[in-house]
Amino acid sequence: MLAEHGYVADRQVVMSVYLAQTLERPLLIEGPAGVGKTEVAKVVARALDTELIRLQCYEGLDAHAALYEWNYQRQLLHIKLDEKSQRPLAEREADLFSEDFLLKRPLLQAITQPVPPVLLIDELDRADEEFESFLLEVLSDWQITIPEIGTIRAAARPHVILTSNRTRELSDAVRRRCFYLWIDYPEFDKEVEIVRRKVNGIDIQLAEQICRFMEKIRMQRLEKVPGVAETLDWAKALVALHQHHLDLEVVADTLGIVFKDQRDVAQVKQSLAEFLEGLGVRAKLAPER
Amino acid sequence: MNHKIDDIALHGALSANVVGFCRLLRAQRSGVALGEEQDALRALAAIDLSDPEDFRLSLRTVLAKTPAEQKLFDALFDVYWSVWDRAGELGQPQPESSASEKDSASRPGKNGLTSVRDWLKQGEPTEEEREAAGYSPIEVHTKRDFKDFNAEELEEIGRLLQAVARALATRFSRRYRPARPPGRLDLRRTLRASLRRGGELLDLSYCRRTRQKPKLVLLCDVSKSMDLYSRFLIQFMYAFQNAYRRIETFVFATSLHHVAPLLRGNDLSAGLDAIAAQVPDWSGGTRIGAALDTFLSEHADLVDHQTALLIVSDGWDTGDIEILEESMRALQRRSRCLIWLNPLLGSPDYRPATRGMQAALPYIDLFAPAHNIDSLKALVGYLMTLRGATAAQYLRRRPEPPAPTKAHPAAPTRDDWFRRFGVQP
Repeated sequence: MLAEHGYVADRQVVMSVYLAQTLERPLLIEGPAGVGKTEVAKVVARALDTELIRLQCYEGLDAHAALYEWNYQRQLLHIKLDEKSQRPLAEREADLFSEDFLLKRPLLQAITQPVPPVLLIDELDRADEEFESFLLEVLSDWQITIPEIGTIRAAARPHVILTSNRTRELSDAVRRRCFYLWIDYPEFDKEVEIVRRKVNGIDIQLAEQICRFMEKIRMQRLEKVPGVAETLDWAKALVALHQHHLDLEVVADTLGIVFKDQRDVAQVKQSLAEFLEGLGVRAKLAPER
Repeated sequence: MNHKIDDIALHGALSANVVGFCRLLRAQRSGVALGEEQDALRALAAIDLSDPEDFRLSLRTVLAKTPAEQKLFDALFDVYWSVWDRAGELGQPQPESSASEKDSASRPGKNGLTSVRDWLKQGEPTEEEREAAGYSPIEVHTKRDFKDFNAEELEEIGRLLQAVARALATRFSRRYRPARPPGRLDLRRTLRASLRRGGELLDLSYCRRTRQKPKLVLLCDVSKSMDLYSRFLIQFMYAFQNAYRRIETFVFATSLHHVAPLLRGNDLSAGLDAIAAQVPDWSGGTRIGAALDTFLSEHADLVDHQTALLIVSDGWDTGDIEILEESMRALQRRSRCLIWLNPLLGSPDYRPATRGMQAALPYIDLFAPAHNIDSLKALVGYLMTLRGATAAQYLRRRPEPPAPTKAHPAAPTRDDWFRRFGVQP
């Protein structure tokens, strides 16, 4: 089970997920980018053996984009095609507003599932406050009214997971409704564990060096602090390069994988030798190839 | 915490301690509201109490909802709950300990409440902690609620009231304005545009509803029984008046006075002087019914189906109850929604048992406390959850939320979750 899901969690994560499921409350997960917030939702979906429905938030996201839209173009086309039809009008009209022409957006999708899915509302901080309050309404009533069809009640309440990167504060109302989980950058041991689990055939020494490097580098002032995702990418790259430990040359060549901002790359490169020395890497300089 | 809490009978004491802990958090400005307290108690029912770490992490999930709150939680958790361990260390005899209690002295849960209180008393008796431990709300509230508000707090009140007004007052008009998709299909413009192409519908236009702001009427009780709250009330009226333009404010004790014009403007103290001069019966007796009746006969035109009506009063009416009931009925019928804010409702022991309150209750759409910033926050939060097309409509016709889904046939247990996440239970 553990290898299958490949997620390294701590007790706080598990307890929060457990309580949110048991008491049927949404779980709000916050933390810096790239620490695996979205991953939690995926693991929960897999563990419950149910579908994961994802609503990615963005600025200007509104109720329609989250709920449903009528496929007007297709309706018009249908009217055109049906022009010569002899069928009674009422029947044709009923056709027009059938589910065939309904574009289900994530929230409606989640509500109409017979088996409760995991509903992931990703990066809620990017949507505006209007949307937040709309979301609150859906989350408390679990019903959606489509004038042409009627009110659709949730067959079963989805398991809701919200994530936020804290680019803005979420409203109090959202917070109060949810259970809360903060995920931070993993501690050294945990990150090593993650790397070992996720990267096949990695040398334990290399994994430890990588994680030590990441632990230290995150303390520096950077434009974009690398997350676990970067650690894993880097580890995979180094394994592909058949590295067994870090050395100056390889680190310098692969910095682009870890840092996604040119200024960060330049800054780290400048002091790289000292930095690696501080990690005790110098003593293990690459053998002659 | 190395003891076991395995006795079901101890749950009562545990609950009391959880509530106490919530109060301690709240006193430290952590946003723990009543909802969280209930969640905490529900969460404790769902976990195995014999595991101290589970206990801590569960409370943390439920009670601490920002990183800052988590930090505070971590700091206070040990302080508060280690009292159980420490109670023995301190070796203080329980002053009211009887023989039966001595028997159970080894079981920390049962005397947990007293020891926590004692400890809080011995520790630093700061005001916050006293509130956290104290259970006589009236006394406490007078201390906490009505101290002078500083500029920051005033600003916060203003913001909150604005949110109240917004939640109550925003509603969609029947007019539409052009908008980009997604939105509602604007048939008229679509058809008009199609004429250029010989009637083929090619370009679709969309539109959206515009918003409208209806009115708000505020009726404040300034009688003797509300004296304790008067400072807060004044701030409340003043902030409301300035946060929301379309508001009419009245105060009443034995008679009714229209004070909105006096409160407009930026100078609070000038406004106060003016009110003092105009309202002779401030701190007088209360005749809510008569005041509402006057309001109806003289200012009824202020209230229409778009008006949200807010009454702030403790419901102590010495006048004719029948008049009160009759006025309430009329007001509810005329207004869009009727909200009664009762400062006394902030204390857990309060029951709306006064005759006036009893008579008024059936006609109130929302009955809520308003005695400090936290209760205002809660009010805003509640209104926000209702806010769809309009909060006011929801207050009137709130759809029944669907019954909670039955537990999943194979709902994973705590241990299942641990296994699935690959953590050693």
